[in-house]
Amino acid sequence: MGHPRVDAIVQQAREAVAAAQSSSELEGVRVGFLGRQGALTQLLRSLGTLAPEERPLVGAAANEAKRELELLLEARLPATLEAERQAERRRRRLDLTLPGRRPPKGSLHPLTRVHDEIVTIFTGLGFSVAEGPEIETDYHNFEALNIPRDHPARDMQDTLYVSESTLLRTHTSPVQIRAMLAQKPPVRIIVPGKVYRRDVADMTHSPMFHQVEGLAVDRGITMADLKGTLELFAREMFGPRSRIRFRPSFFPFTEPSAEVDVLCFVCHGDGCRLCKQGGWLEILGSGMVHPQVLRNVGYDPEEVTGWAFGMGIERIAMLKYGIDDLRLFFENDLRFLEQFA
Amino acid sequence: MKVPYEWVREFVDLRLTAAQAADRLVNAGVEVASVTPLAPDLKGVVVGEIEAVERELAEGHGGDKLFLCRVSTGRERYSVVCGAPNTRVGARAAFAPPGAVLPGGRRIATAKIHGVESQGMLCSERELGIGEEHEAGILLVDGARPGVDLIAALGLDDHVLEVEITPNRPDCLSVVGIARELAALTGARFRPPRVAPKESGEAARSLARVRIEAPDLCHRFTARVISGVTVGPAPARLRARLRAVGLRPISNVVDATNYVLWELGQPLHAYDAETVAEGTIVVRRARAGERFTTLDGQERTLDASMLLIADPRRAIGLAGVMGGANTEVTERTTRVLLESAWFAPASIRRTSRALGLRTDAAYRFERGADIEALVTASARAAALIAELAGGTIARGVVDAYPRKRKPLRVRLRMSRVKRVLGVAPPPAQARKILTGLGLPVKARGADLEVTVPSFRRDIAMEDDLVEEIIRVWGYHRIPSTLPGGAIALVTQPANLRQSQTVRQALVGAGLAEVITHAFSDPARAALFRRPTDPAPVALLNPLAQDASWLRTHPLEGVLGAVATNVRRQQPDVRVFEICKTYSHATSGAGATDKAGVSEPARTAAPGNSGVSEPARAALRPPSKQAGLTAPATTEPRWLAIALTGARGEPGWSGGQERADVYDAKGLAEHALEVLGVRATTGDAGALGGFEPDCHGSLVTEGGATIGEFGEVAAALRESLGIPSPVFAAVVSLDAAGAVVPAPIGYQALPRFPAVERDLAFVVGSDQTLTAARIESALREEAGPLLRRLELFDVFRFPDGRSSLAWRLLFQAEDRTLTDDEVNSIQERVIRRITETFHITLRSG
Repeated sequence: MGHPRVDAIVQQAREAVAAAQSSSELEGVRVGFLGRQGALTQLLRSLGTLAPEERPLVGAAANEAKRELELLLEARLPATLEAERQAERRRRRLDLTLPGRRPPKGSLHPLTRVHDEIVTIFTGLGFSVAEGPEIETDYHNFEALNIPRDHPARDMQDTLYVSESTLLRTHTSPVQIRAMLAQKPPVRIIVPGKVYRRDVADMTHSPMFHQVEGLAVDRGITMADLKGTLELFAREMFGPRSRIRFRPSFFPFTEPSAEVDVLCFVCHGDGCRLCKQGGWLEILGSGMVHPQVLRNVGYDPEEVTGWAFGMGIERIAMLKYGIDDLRLFFENDLRFLEQFA
Repeated sequence: MKVPYEWVREFVDLRLTAAQAADRLVNAGVEVASVTPLAPDLKGVVVGEIEAVERELAEGHGGDKLFLCRVSTGRERYSVVCGAPNTRVGARAAFAPPGAVLPGGRRIATAKIHGVESQGMLCSERELGIGEEHEAGILLVDGARPGVDLIAALGLDDHVLEVEITPNRPDCLSVVGIARELAALTGARFRPPRVAPKESGEAARSLARVRIEAPDLCHRFTARVISGVTVGPAPARLRARLRAVGLRPISNVVDATNYVLWELGQPLHAYDAETVAEGTIVVRRARAGERFTTLDGQERTLDASMLLIADPRRAIGLAGVMGGANTEVTERTTRVLLESAWFAPASIRRTSRALGLRTDAAYRFERGADIEALVTASARAAALIAELAGGTIARGVVDAYPRKRKPLRVRLRMSRVKRVLGVAPPPAQARKILTGLGLPVKARGADLEVTVPSFRRDIAMEDDLVEEIIRVWGYHRIPSTLPGGAIALVTQPANLRQSQTVRQALVGAGLAEVITHAFSDPARAALFRRPTDPAPVALLNPLAQDASWLRTHPLEGVLGAVATNVRRQQPDVRVFEICKTYSHATSGAGATDKAGVSEPARTAAPGNSGVSEPARAALRPPSKQAGLTAPATTEPRWLAIALTGARGEPGWSGGQERADVYDAKGLAEHALEVLGVRATTGDAGALGGFEPDCHGSLVTEGGATIGEFGEVAAALRESLGIPSPVFAAVVSLDAAGAVVPAPIGYQALPRFPAVERDLAFVVGSDQTLTAARIESALREEAGPLLRRLELFDVFRFPDGRSSLAWRLLFQAEDRTLTDDEVNSIQERVIRRITETFHITLRSG
């Protein structure tokens, strides 16, 4: 066993470790016994003053005591530190219900969202994107599209004029003419853009709004291709259960022409407030490009056929997001815009 | 157009309800906006016969005479007090016996009037809610059997279809037209009205003559004469029908022409024949400035493009639009001259629009009347006039028809049907469909040949017949396929990608994107524009004066959005818009843009339509359009940013600082950075609308102005009702798009440690010494070992001086720099800066 001089110190140290309440008290114990001025250190340092036969005994006992004391301290320290850290955290409690510190939140305009969605769907189907000017010639906007002056079809689109022969385009269709004049078939484009009508703003009208035009001209293009393409579009845009229906209509630059309805995605055709009990929602106008329009751009209607469609981005966005007033898009109230963040 | 369903059924054997018929029409391209019951809100009102007027009572409230009448409903007799001036024995009239209910829930009971019991009430149109007439007295229903329900007696137990006819189908602008369409769609038998007017006496051509002096505008003019008419009100049933379709009953003669207009779609006009000089009609152009008073009492000034109906002395009608007051049929009229004619659509449209006179007649003529059927319409109207107003129809028709319609034959290849639709019915079915539509068909080998009847002006070519076939056969029969053929490489205009990049960056930076109307208020021009700005684009026919220009300044939209939100109690606004401004191109090409940099899209030759250079020439209108000397316009594209109020999202841990000009500048720089465009601060910008002392520009490495930023002029923002400062920036997206971004190239990471030094200089209040100038001198003096230079602190002393502190990072590529080396550079830099700019190094 030990040595009486050592045992006394060890006994003292054990009691001190047991009594220690904190990591700093434990540190005090370590310094008091193992530090440079510590009791054990002093003892080991004074070995030279002992009788030679005692030296190895006391030395061995002291070294053993030192190890024991180190083990004792090691055993208590981590738990004490952890308890202290916990106590500290309890004192500085974090209220995690305080709102997180977020980067500022911006928002894309809902019309941009729908625009991007439409463009993505059609570029995925192999359509390139084309653009054209908003201030158009009467020729591109009307004449080339089979809408002569003094024709009642002009009533379908009340026009804002810049001069006798220039106007704010009433649809994106003049870009059909520009694109076909600029290239040989096959043509497969979509044309997003702003269009203008002389309509007073109300819940369903706006003097400025946005359209996306689609045009496909090639050998062997049929109205069935138009239907298939628009069916695919409807499923991408409004969900996999979407269905469309064609209704005969009239546009001077297509023959045959069709209005396209999508099955109401709220009631799935049973009738509800959104579809005004009809079960269907009108989303766009379309048709086979009129042979005269093809001839106007130097294409041979015996050689190629084509189809075109035009849809209002606002109309799609209103249906998709349940917006009931067209004016909201252009008021830009932040409380409206932030809903599309 | 309102179409009573029972009227339609007079001409087609249909066993469908009105709603079912509407459905068929919609599926064949005839839009039906609504189907509404016609019957007024009446219960128990019947036809009563006034058997006797028993005695006269004391005067009523208004001094009117009151009578006690005996009214019979066939089974029962009633004592009824009535004060109507048209009360007479033998009259059959609308009668509400006790228990009947009038509009508004008014229940009729036996009542005492002037001490006399009245069992029910004889009613006027107004009391029945079916018309305005009241002063003339009770509603007479001559010819109806006593006791019959009044609604049935008036033909009001019906539904009205509100149809919307597209401009290509004038043949559907009539009851008979709709009947013909329904017959074709259902296979039911179509029974066009049979007309055989009883003619007698003199020949029409001895009573009336027609001379067409403008055969280009009037291809046919017919006249009939009906003599000995008595003008008065038309029967109740006919008046009720006219009212049901929205026409105002006028007199038996005029009502007859309107009735036939609605039934057959041919506009007609009745003249008082005695007022037509020499009984001679002259169809001629108006003289420039000629004045003419139309039926509505308005005097109108005409021009030489307008077509007139005249007699040898004066104008008597505005052809195809409205008759004249001078030849109107009145109560004194005894002889009627009936016009049924065909006028050139474009001319009618021009005249009607120029005079702002839209009539049912003009609406039909400008879409195209049926030049063959107008004779039938004339005969039908003559017969109806004779029936309603008495008189005799003169023998024959005066028919001037200088431009005979040439019959049109259209060949239809069944192979074409398949090529257009992707599907085709069997030829026999196609033939049946066309025949059903009233289009005579002959087989020509495998193909069909259709002789287009005069009522289908819209059918002019093969594909028109393709549409007729699929319209009736059913659009649901078109299958769904996808276009075949090789898919070319999908391209997108650079514009589109550029806009998307900018949007993403700014949304990520916490801004809300806005989209605003492109209209501009000229009244605010002085606040936005500078005298040197290019000419604005003004609209010829704006909706409102405050929206009569197109946007001239890129900030107009975003500032409007700021104003809206501030007004709605949202003081913190951070928005951007990708927009265009619009101007007339200045003559010197190239120097067009305000910022003097961009080459924006031109109307005459758009650079942004993804169109290749050789194609540009083709984009100019063909030479026949050479008369269109439209001034070229430009539509430069911009990013516009506006900020007001708090800088960030205000919250519990900050974000309360106010946005300032450096936020606006930084966002513009951020946008340019994501576009790969390097820009430095240049001189004051060129745009109007900024505070002069807080207005800077951003300049590319090539020296072009690419953007501007600053504080929005207080006068401008106050005019918009924005109380606190607004900071704004614009970037020319055309200019940014023209900059070719430096290709991304990898640079080896530094292998030797860097040495950092901070230097602060104290600058006086001299406005000309800018951070940018110091920085550029600093960079130059420090040489290539300076790897990074960052202004990290700006401190303003109360006396107006400021301290600018830069952190300099030195690093060599091939060795570890020694302190001595860096110290000597630092000393050189300090000396250069302090001596050049006469400023001091901040100590401590």
